[in-house]
Amino acid sequence: MRLKLISCQVLTREMNHILSRSPHSIVAEMLPMGLHDLGASMRPHLQERIDAADRDGYDAILLGYALCGRGTEGLRAGKTQLVLPRAHDCIGLLMGSRLRYQAYFDTHPGVYFRSPGWIEHQVPGQALEPAHSAVCRTSGERQTREELIAQYGEDNGDYLFEQFNAYRRRYSGLTYISSGVESEDAFRSSARAEAEKEGWTFEVIEGSLALLEQLVNGTWGAADFLVVPPGAIVHGTLGDTIVEAL
Amino acid sequence: MAQSRELYEAIVNGDAKQAHAVTQAAIEAGIGPMTLISESMIPAMDEVGRLFEEEEYFVPELLLAGRAMKGAMELLRPLMTASGEKLSARVVIGTVKGDLHDIGKNIVASMLEGSGFEVIDLGADVSSEAFVAAVKERKPQFVCLSALLTVTMPSMKTTIDALGNAGLRTQVKVLVGGAPVTMQYANEIGADGYSENASGAVGLIRRLLEGA
Repeated sequence: MRLKLISCQVLTREMNHILSRSPHSIVAEMLPMGLHDLGASMRPHLQERIDAADRDGYDAILLGYALCGRGTEGLRAGKTQLVLPRAHDCIGLLMGSRLRYQAYFDTHPGVYFRSPGWIEHQVPGQALEPAHSAVCRTSGERQTREELIAQYGEDNGDYLFEQFNAYRRRYSGLTYISSGVESEDAFRSSARAEAEKEGWTFEVIEGSLALLEQLVNGTWGAADFLVVPPGAIVHGTLGDTIVEAL
Repeated sequence: MAQSRELYEAIVNGDAKQAHAVTQAAIEAGIGPMTLISESMIPAMDEVGRLFEEEEYFVPELLLAGRAMKGAMELLRPLMTASGEKLSARVVIGTVKGDLHDIGKNIVASMLEGSGFEVIDLGADVSSEAFVAAVKERKPQFVCLSALLTVTMPSMKTTIDALGNAGLRTQVKVLVGGAPVTMQYANEIGADGYSENASGAVGLIRRLLEGA
């Protein structure tokens, strides 16, 4: 098959590993990880790249994304079918299964996740965020205490900083998802150092490339993939299947 | 009344110290709590909501107005308890199980409280059992559920189903909100209402009370 892959940069190493072994002809395009922060407003950026690829007559356009805070909801397939893994976010993709992620999340609600891409592509100086916080940011939430005090006065600035950061105190762990690709020791060490610095528990779990391999290799079972036929759109059901085509 | 105007302005300006001082002075001057709520707080929170809708106010201003309002309310609450005065409706609110994020929920809670409703805030990461228990014990007219992550949104459905299984579903209106939540999702899980933001939540509850 002749395939186009449009993927989030956070999966770069995993995708490169899989692409180099794929039997298909694949043109890959990595989009900036920062789109994640836009939440639902990520969609027009992806749609533009999908529409551009649609003109080139691929057999399918593969999306290296998940529901991503509804950032993929409403994406429309043009003449070319779209393929989207059924997962809430990249943590589900890297764990190889949305069910495994859900089970882990249910028992670990207060952990940050790290993976090679989360460390390699994070913008220096950017505040630490949970991997799944696709929140539409309004002014104030990412400001430092000093910035808030300068703008709102000492008393109110302090209060706002505490309000915006209260949820962080409920996060108590950092989980590194090892994806098994070569040369990840430095990323693992970096994640461990980050956890130690913050006083969080640190856990390494073995990820799985299975879901991403099936995406790239063209084995799109209905249980784990949504195939969006030409003209249809992605709808987030949030049920067991997470996404459906409308 | 000068005090009513001053309290209104202190809340709109997010000045907690001033709101506290003015409320204290008003109480000493013999102004009743329901008068302060209806003449100062409710109009102030309406104005804050309007400024937010018009994008003159953002999340920080909502939080600061809520803080100022709460400080005043803390002074009024014991007086209302003593006199047996009741607010117009009781609302139980919380962020659903698995979700630790509560800024949005906190803003909605303070907007509702400042709009004259009695708010019972169960906090974040609230199980469906805890919502059911709160509805049984406190008998609210409304339950507001918040979620910030798509992975925790199914907990909204779990909570609505649990209220149904406990035979409580018809006693309360369930309203949902949060960044990834939509009207369509609210309909799919059988909620009674959805609001995109905090001031919308106030309007929604008012409309439902009028229709009830």
